[in-house]
Amino acid sequence: MYIVLAIMLGLLVPYGIRVAIGPSVWDRLLGMNLIACKIIIIIIIFASVSEMTFLMDFAILYAVSGFIGTIFIALFLSERDRRKGQEDKE
Amino acid sequence: MSVQEIVSFIIMGIGIAFMLVGIIGMFQPKKDFYYRLLVACKIDTIGLLTIGIGLAIRHGFSFFTGKIILIIIIIMVLNPLVAHIIAQAAYRSGYVSICKDGDSFDH
Amino acid sequence: MAIALTTEILLVFWVVNAIWIVFAKKTYRVMIFFGVFSLITSVIYLFLGAPDVAMAEAGISAFATIFFIVCIEKYYSRGSGLKAEMASAAKPRNYFKLVAAFAFVAMLCGLFIFFVPTTTEYAYTELRDLYLFQFMRDVGGRNAVTAIYLGYRVYDTLFEALLLVTAVVAVIHLSWFDRTIVADGRHSEVERSRMTKFAMRIVCPIILLFGMYLVMNGHISAGGGFLGGLAFALFLVCRFMVLGVYDLPIEKAMKLEELVFINIIILPIFAIFTGFIYFYGYATEMFQNIYLIAMNFLVGLKVAFGFFVLFYRYIAIERLPDKEEVVEAFDDGED
Repeated sequence: MYIVLAIMLGLLVPYGIRVAIGPSVWDRLLGMNLIACKIIIIIIIFASVSEMTFLMDFAILYAVSGFIGTIFIALFLSERDRRKGQEDKE
Repeated sequence: MSVQEIVSFIIMGIGIAFMLVGIIGMFQPKKDFYYRLLVACKIDTIGLLTIGIGLAIRHGFSFFTGKIILIIIIIMVLNPLVAHIIAQAAYRSGYVSICKDGDSFDH
Repeated sequence: MAIALTTEILLVFWVVNAIWIVFAKKTYRVMIFFGVFSLITSVIYLFLGAPDVAMAEAGISAFATIFFIVCIEKYYSRGSGLKAEMASAAKPRNYFKLVAAFAFVAMLCGLFIFFVPTTTEYAYTELRDLYLFQFMRDVGGRNAVTAIYLGYRVYDTLFEALLLVTAVVAVIHLSWFDRTIVADGRHSEVERSRMTKFAMRIVCPIILLFGMYLVMNGHISAGGGFLGGLAFALFLVCRFMVLGVYDLPIEKAMKLEELVFINIIILPIFAIFTGFIYFYGYATEMFQNIYLIAMNFLVGLKVAFGFFVLFYRYIAIERLPDKEEVVEAFDDGED
């Protein structure tokens, strides 16, 4: 089980690099979403290793709140970029 | 080790293999954002589902398994939804692909 | 041992992420880096043994991101901020500072990892041990956190709740620069596809049931009122995403929040002065459970209304008319 935990921690690095160097803002958003998924897996495995069942509640709430935050960032960024594109055309 | 643990480790290994393959897709040179999104989100959802199923098999019929099934349902609904919304927002904002003459919507 | 090592690796990620935030050139990068930062922060809290604080961090960061992004979007729509950012982004980047900062922080992390496990200095834990060993006998609760509701530090908790309600009311009223913005019954301009509505319709009832479970289970496990309230607030946000109509009366929600706060004050005072939760006897545990579930439910309602009123206020800013009228509304008090 600790091997899985270590691999998940190692997977945080390439997605973090994608967040850092991503050429556009959408790459950064994608990397943030993937990091949230990895963190959910880390919480589940931690709950399984330490046999604390109540940590799964946190994983569920974590998933929902993190995804809703990402959804709103994407929606409002698209609105802003469309306005900026219209200004450039004018 | 019992048979249950071996089966669960094999299934989790498959999930980890999916995720490691996903990294190759994330760092392909000369591919644009939509390619990366197409690869990464599918692979990620599959990996999370597989690891969840492996953990459920490991714990047998218990309270933990019920919560794992709940989180699998939520992830199965929400993770493709987030990918869909990111792709839709990128398309609507006018981001087409890699712009070679430096005219990308970089923030 | 493995968990301690995991925590230290996450701490290194955390510090590197903080440096990204400091050296980021544009506002949207700061937003996304801050999202990753708060994700890692809450996992560190979880591993260090504070699940309540971890969940508070995760929820607050999810809502705070929405507030930041709406405010920044409206700020740029005024036009002045965009030009200033374009001017500032044209400067060349100084790589030497970046490399020096990374080296410095890597050195600090190395020192931390090598020296912290080997130190022999401890804080005095007599008070903590006293509470941990005696809360069962003194109060009778099964959870050390709920012992705070019951016996220890009731007045502290009440005063903290008073501070919280003051802060929320202040933020709501300061953001309320024009009362005519929230138009009940109008449709939102946040774009939602059919797939979004379908998926949110599946998730909505699951979240509501899950919040009820958290509130009802809060006196035994960790979490309780705050997490249940967060789940209720997320349910209301999902409902907004499905329907897309400003149909909830926000003034009534604010009044209801204040009413719930008065109940939060009245219930412990009643419980303390009548003393029915301290009787030693057959019915004590049942009374305590009823009291704790009622308190958790009230706290959950208050948190849900607070978060949802803030969310509604900030999302409703998208209803503002564009450009000239916006500038008039914003610059009202300056000249």
